[in-house]
Amino acid sequence: MNNAIEFQGVSYRPGRDFEINALTLTVPSGAVYGFLGPNGSGKTTTIKLLMGFHRPQSGEIVVLDRKVPEEMPEVLAHTGYVPERPHLYPTLTVSEAVRHHGAFYRTWDERWVDQLFDRFELAPDRRISRLSKGELGKLTLLLALGQRPELLVLDEPTEGLDPVVRRELMSVLLEYVTDRSATVFISSHLVHELERFCSWIGIMDHGRLVTELPMEQFKNGIKRLRVINPEQSAPEEPFEIMFRESVNGGAPGEMWLVRGWRSDMASFFDRGGATLRDVVDLDLEDGFVELLRAFRAEMVRK
Amino acid sequence: MFRVLLYDQWKAVRQPLALVSIISFALPVLSVQNAAPHPVFGVRAHELLVTQAIWGTAYPLLAGALGLLLGVMAWTRDHRTDHVYALSLPLPRWKYALLKFGAGGVLVVPAVMTLGVGTGIAALAATVPEGLASYPVALTARFGLTSMMAFSIFFAISSGTSRTAGVVLGSLAVLVGGGVFLDVIGLGEHVIDPLFDLLFRPGSPFDSFGGRWMLIDV
Repeated sequence: MNNAIEFQGVSYRPGRDFEINALTLTVPSGAVYGFLGPNGSGKTTTIKLLMGFHRPQSGEIVVLDRKVPEEMPEVLAHTGYVPERPHLYPTLTVSEAVRHHGAFYRTWDERWVDQLFDRFELAPDRRISRLSKGELGKLTLLLALGQRPELLVLDEPTEGLDPVVRRELMSVLLEYVTDRSATVFISSHLVHELERFCSWIGIMDHGRLVTELPMEQFKNGIKRLRVINPEQSAPEEPFEIMFRESVNGGAPGEMWLVRGWRSDMASFFDRGGATLRDVVDLDLEDGFVELLRAFRAEMVRK
Repeated sequence: MFRVLLYDQWKAVRQPLALVSIISFALPVLSVQNAAPHPVFGVRAHELLVTQAIWGTAYPLLAGALGLLLGVMAWTRDHRTDHVYALSLPLPRWKYALLKFGAGGVLVVPAVMTLGVGTGIAALAATVPEGLASYPVALTARFGLTSMMAFSIFFAISSGTSRTAGVVLGSLAVLVGGGVFLDVIGLGEHVIDPLFDLLFRPGSPFDSFGGRWMLIDV
């Protein structure tokens, strides 16, 4: 199994205002795949398609080598899921919820769950309706991990949590992933959180995948260049120009957003008579914002 | 799996279910309160039959209420969470629904059992006049089957989307409420009675709700 998740040309239209459009997405096995996008970009809908909650109108979804939604029970038997909103029955206590959940999984690991229980300091007799947001987040993650899943699907798991709890959850998650080589598909709009943690990154906007690439390539390969005297149509550049615009404030030259940049490519500008003035490193947040800007400009142009 | 679903449903309905069980025990016992021999006239058969007929209307209502309670509560928590939890469990949807149905069916038993105990005690305690007989087992069995039928109907209705369930249950409420209102203004026999006859007459879908529900009968 090379890929844990594959979407091939998946389209889904839940209503008039929004659609997932020909989504092709690949999550390699063992990757921690950060799924970024602004609110309303289609992250949760994509996750619901992946979890088999919705049936796509066209295209194919394969998760853990099984077709979705046709072979969903087998997929779910190896998948831990943390939804965007709390989904547990509020009348149950913490220990009852754990017992309830564990009954559905053949691979439920009682000892591991007990360890997590102690680590998260959850009160077994407290009702779910009385848990704080942080406690609920811990319990949901505990339930997702208890069956020792091959794949973890996390939909904004740390949304609204304080930094202490957020860090604790992420550290447990990291330990598990390192220990088990599990695949993680995690959606968030907290860009910095994913930057520390993910090996792959995918960006959604308006129901389309803007880009997906390894995090290293994203961090090192996406740059903002300041170019003086650029040609209007650059001839066969060795990198991909995602966006070019005049420099703000009337300064000379253009600002280019490029992908696939390497330092030895600077010589490209000498050939065309242009001058490369600055190469600006972008952190994940800057890159994310710039990519969205480029993507939206492209959409408007089309 | 079945056990945890049964526990979850029991936890959600245990208080109203206890109330229904107490009522189902008390109903038959109360219905024979005037069946003790009169010091002068003994037990008058006609009076006893009339009393039984009046009390008898409560049994199908109680069976309907029990079915409504268990059927609706089986799905309430799933509706509240948009079925996300249920859908994320590793079992086919039909199996999940079947397990839930089975768990709800088991929860019908306590109320049926208390009714059985109540009818047994009532039948032993009552002085049944000559020509009449008590039917504790038949009444209990009928109550059990009618409760299961009501549970099945409400379970099926509630298993749909909240909107569908709301529309169907709302329509039923309007039908019953409308029936009572039409009765009050004197139009019931023209409008609602034929409809109820159609639904509850012998051989119709809801036959078991209608007819005579008598602990003591001819």
